[in-house]
Amino acid sequence: MVVNSFKEVKMKVAKDSTTNESVSSVLAAELTLISTLLIAAIMLRHFNIVLAIVVILGLVLFFTTNMPLMPKIKREQDDSLEKMVFYAVLTLGTLITIIYWGLN
Amino acid sequence: MNELIPLMVIIPIACGLLLNLLHKKDTAIKILAIVVAIVLPIIPLLSNYGLHYFGGHAPLIENPILLETLPSQISQSALAIFHPAITYSYESLQKLFIFVLGIVAFFAIFTSLNETKKVSGPYMFLMFMGTAAVTALLLSNDIFHMYIFFEIAALCQVGIILVSSTKENYETALKYMILGSIGGPLLLLGIGFILGAVGSVNISDIIYAINQNLVNPFSQTFLIGFGLILFGWLYASGLPPFHTIKSSIYSKALPHSAALLQSFTVVTFIAMGLVIFRIFSYLPFLKVIILVFSLIAMILGVTMAIIQTDIRRILGFLAVGELGYIGIGLGIGTTLSITAGLFQAVNEILITALLFIGFGTVFYLTNSSDTKKLGGLITQNPKIAIMVLLGGFAMAGVPPFNGFQSKLMIIESALKAGFPEISIIAVLVSIVTFMVFMKAFYSVYLKPKPQDLSIVNENIPKSTILSIAVLLIICLIIGLFPQLVTDNISPFVAGLI
Repeated sequence: MVVNSFKEVKMKVAKDSTTNESVSSVLAAELTLISTLLIAAIMLRHFNIVLAIVVILGLVLFFTTNMPLMPKIKREQDDSLEKMVFYAVLTLGTLITIIYWGLN
Repeated sequence: MNELIPLMVIIPIACGLLLNLLHKKDTAIKILAIVVAIVLPIIPLLSNYGLHYFGGHAPLIENPILLETLPSQISQSALAIFHPAITYSYESLQKLFIFVLGIVAFFAIFTSLNETKKVSGPYMFLMFMGTAAVTALLLSNDIFHMYIFFEIAALCQVGIILVSSTKENYETALKYMILGSIGGPLLLLGIGFILGAVGSVNISDIIYAINQNLVNPFSQTFLIGFGLILFGWLYASGLPPFHTIKSSIYSKALPHSAALLQSFTVVTFIAMGLVIFRIFSYLPFLKVIILVFSLIAMILGVTMAIIQTDIRRILGFLAVGELGYIGIGLGIGTTLSITAGLFQAVNEILITALLFIGFGTVFYLTNSSDTKKLGGLITQNPKIAIMVLLGGFAMAGVPPFNGFQSKLMIIESALKAGFPEISIIAVLVSIVTFMVFMKAFYSVYLKPKPQDLSIVNENIPKSTILSIAVLLIICLIIGLFPQLVTDNISPFVAGLI
């Protein structure tokens, strides 16, 4: 599954003229993203060890079933105003929800 | 000489307005801009630490004669302690940051005057006005006053992008304004909630009201105020979800402008971040929230930087990622970590300015920043290539440069605070930053020169080379003698915790 996803990366960035560089960049980004997120998830042990284990297992499952992630993230992080506004509003909503209702 | 405190803001504003009036008188603009740009980093060195009350309206408690004449419901209440005037507070931290901002502003203006063929009064106005606005953000002890200058700084940033003759600059400036129309008003609304609860917008007054139980800091008004101010901070500092637009505005501005814009962002980040920390540090989840956004900024910044092919965009994303390190320092919340975070902020301002001006020479030479179209430029000017390479080392945290010292401090503080995971992520992101930088460096300087690459300007101005060299020397000096910076930060942090 993982090897197939790497092959898929090549397909998704094939429109670039410097394919080798693009593919290796996306793969490096993919590995960085996965490793840092997994390490960050370990920090949940400060709240609850069971929660940390569940989240890490969930992330592993999510990563293996959704790889490659970087083409998707690149698509979501482009300069489109609609996406920027969407994520801004989503963040605002999440923040206010957690801060306002989370504490009451 | 406390009179010098407001002059740090007034002089660049006055200069900016004058430069605007002098539009088309190129020589006069050049002389005035250079003279004031030299003065900017000097004023903080001459000024004494202290407070400045605009209009001379000190708190009533500082005037016992007047206080005696007032009714007891005023003289014996919090009103006697509250600050009636807009107050500027000037301490060692402000001195350090205003000095560093002045240095970067000087080099950005100096480079701009020599690289652009036609001197623009309005462009200079925007650079000086932006510098004044972020200086006011650092000095102000009043959240509403901060908001005013936050908006001025945002408008100046939009203006700087608009006057930069680059591809898609208008579109990016408009997008930044539209997103600002979400972030700015919500920040103001948050300030309004706090004003409604406390009755003052002075930060010391708000903290006093919380500490003396004059208000309920866990009330819904306060919590919503916190949430909205935090959201405004995310917008101002380019943390996720605003990292994309922030990196975009860096890439659409001219390189010397981008050097200044990133310093505006870092200064706004720490000025507002410290205010949030001072007011809301009683909230147990504050540090967690700062850590979460900082980690996301680091991870997204560096991963997005890897896949870019435009050097200015790569630098833009790396700059956003580096902000995460500063945030981590604040988020861990210990004396060492906050000192390390603020140290990292100083280093980021200098290093990123160096890299924007350094890689900006590529844009100056070829009118392109697309790595696919570039190559072989080391033959054009090997000295600049080496200085840019060393600048990249500084950003990635390679010894003996300043980036190494601050990142090491952050890693050390994370380990001491019981967060080894943060240390690992910080090391990992540094390694990837190094990789991203080397990839960009190879594409621009070492790869064989493409046949269709045309050189539009043969010689790089000496002023640009001088700017890069001086910034690199400063990075090296701070790397060798970090106490030059940390000694100015430590007293402030000791008072903060």
